Amino acid sequence: MSKHFILLVFFLFLVFIPSAETRVYLDINAPAFVQIPIVIPKWKSVDKTPPALSEKAYEILANDLTLSGFFRVIDYHRLPIHLRDKEGIPAGVLLQEWIPAGGEILLAGETSLESNGLTLRLRFHLFDLVEQRHLVGKQYEGHLQNLRNIVHRVADEVVLQLTGEKGVHNTKIAYAVLQGEGKEIFISDFDGANVKQITQNYSINLSPAWAPDGKKIAFTSYLRRNPDLYLIDLDGKNPHRFSYYPGLNVSPSWSPDGKQIALMMGMEGKSDIFLIDANGGNPKKLTKSHGNEASPSWSPDGKRIAFVSDRSGSPQIYIMAMDGSEVRRLTYEGNYNTNPSWSLKGDRIAFCGRVGGRFNIFTIANDGTGLQRLTSNSGNNESPCWSPDGRYIAFSSNRTGVSKIFIMNANGINQRPLTQSKGGESSPSWSRRFE
Amino acid sequence: MVKKSLSLLILILCVGLIMMGCPKKTVVKEEPSVAKSEEARKLEAERAEREAKEAKERESAKIKEQEAKKERERELEKSLVAKKTPGIEGEVFESSLLKDIHFDFDKYDIRPGDAEILKGNAALLTKYPKVKIQVEGHCDERGTVEYNLALGERRANSAKKYLISLGIAADRISAISYGKERPLDPGHNEEAWAKNRRANPVILSK
Repeated sequence: MSKHFILLVFFLFLVFIPSAETRVYLDINAPAFVQIPIVIPKWKSVDKTPPALSEKAYEILANDLTLSGFFRVIDYHRLPIHLRDKEGIPAGVLLQEWIPAGGEILLAGETSLESNGLTLRLRFHLFDLVEQRHLVGKQYEGHLQNLRNIVHRVADEVVLQLTGEKGVHNTKIAYAVLQGEGKEIFISDFDGANVKQITQNYSINLSPAWAPDGKKIAFTSYLRRNPDLYLIDLDGKNPHRFSYYPGLNVSPSWSPDGKQIALMMGMEGKSDIFLIDANGGNPKKLTKSHGNEASPSWSPDGKRIAFVSDRSGSPQIYIMAMDGSEVRRLTYEGNYNTNPSWSLKGDRIAFCGRVGGRFNIFTIANDGTGLQRLTSNSGNNESPCWSPDGRYIAFSSNRTGVSKIFIMNANGINQRPLTQSKGGESSPSWSRRFE
Repeated sequence: MVKKSLSLLILILCVGLIMMGCPKKTVVKEEPSVAKSEEARKLEAERAEREAKEAKERESAKIKEQEAKKERERELEKSLVAKKTPGIEGEVFESSLLKDIHFDFDKYDIRPGDAEILKGNAALLTKYPKVKIQVEGHCDERGTVEYNLALGERRANSAKKYLISLGIAADRISAISYGKERPLDPGHNEEAWAKNRRANPVILSK
């Protein structure tokens, strides 16, 4: 892909940029934030570029920004008539005419397809309509077949400019989907596009986990009548069984450096947390209690592992050092807390907790303070997992009657299903950013 | 000369006597011997007859036993239902003679009533010493995939350990957890959940 994807980024209108870099329009770490109203005029098609292509790019971009949860998109169809067909990038002196659009930010752009019909260029500019000034202008270029990817880069950049950190529009989510009596592994883009089935072996395939390099997915399969760990390429090729000790080999969590995997193993007749090398060798038992140990999740610094144990009588979240020492209990509220997922920002752990017979998603600081409930009155919500920027959580929910993967902002707002599938989805795992 | 002649006569007489006496003695001796032999032959025949009868009986008992064994095997055989699961290697058998046990929510200890069921399973395994089984641990749909896999592992191993404690060799029993992935009853109510929280023995080889 990188062969086809030549990325060009350069700054234009430098004269317009006085102090834009320092201002963060939206502090997403605040407990509650107001979405930024952003006006996106119709995109211009330069020269002979088909307008349908610009329209496609526009749709993907508007959807990306909506999905980010940080913006209230005012798209050109909803503008006053005299602005509806205005396209292209306004010069500074013309910014005033956009005030009636009702936004604080203006995102204007254009699409041009080179005469070879293959190279696509997206050029965009961001303006602050309140302060009437230009913020930034950039250009991204790539092969036409990577249209979505190029637009996602624009969206990521807009998020960076207005919130201080790049978006995650070029990420993917892997999950398991019920098929007949088995489950298969699927992947989808962050915006729900490009849904692909990775396994097709009719077996029970569970708990996918992206390798840190984003090139492979580890998962459990019952293909050989034992829950063994496999690795598979993103195109579904080269499935390779690499951990097949008798009993459980499930719930893999990669160390951040990709050299080790923490997992649940049943070698001693009950589930314990073990550490194995990435090739499946050298198993080392980390947990020492008589309880059931489940669902390991590495801390982003690779020093600690969060996990579930019912050693106290009910499943609760614990943290230990990666050698199994320094065990401490994290959760005390509720009597069924499972599925910890350590934020890649390191400060919070998401988990699934049962309240009144229903399962919901919570987050808690890694020192056990600041418990926050993110879902309520919406069926059962399980298996939270963080986006690489720590700003989103994917989880499974049966609120619509069938289990589907949902995504929400880390503060619980903007909950939406990942895809328009018929359901049966579980166990999401979020990839790193694909650059 | 006369003395020599006399001696010769005595010798002849003696020889004659011996010659005459011997057959007489033989007859006397032979008479009871013939009687005894006849009796023995009779006894021998009776014994042979008896033994043949016994052998026949043994043979028929053996055949009966073999038939009974075959019948028992047929009984096991008749009870077997082959179970081939798509995407899972190999074929196993479920038998109506090997019974499931059930568990309370989030529990893996053997309930007293289920201990009796396991004793029945152990008796069957004793009766069929070649049979190897796998105990499948299952859970209801509530709770997470992973925690239920841990729970299923425990349930399968609880049943396994109990069978071992009843004298079944450990190498005849393996355990596997399916967590909540293979519910018996697809329902979403307590009745379905209770059915699904189970340890289900399947026959790997006969």
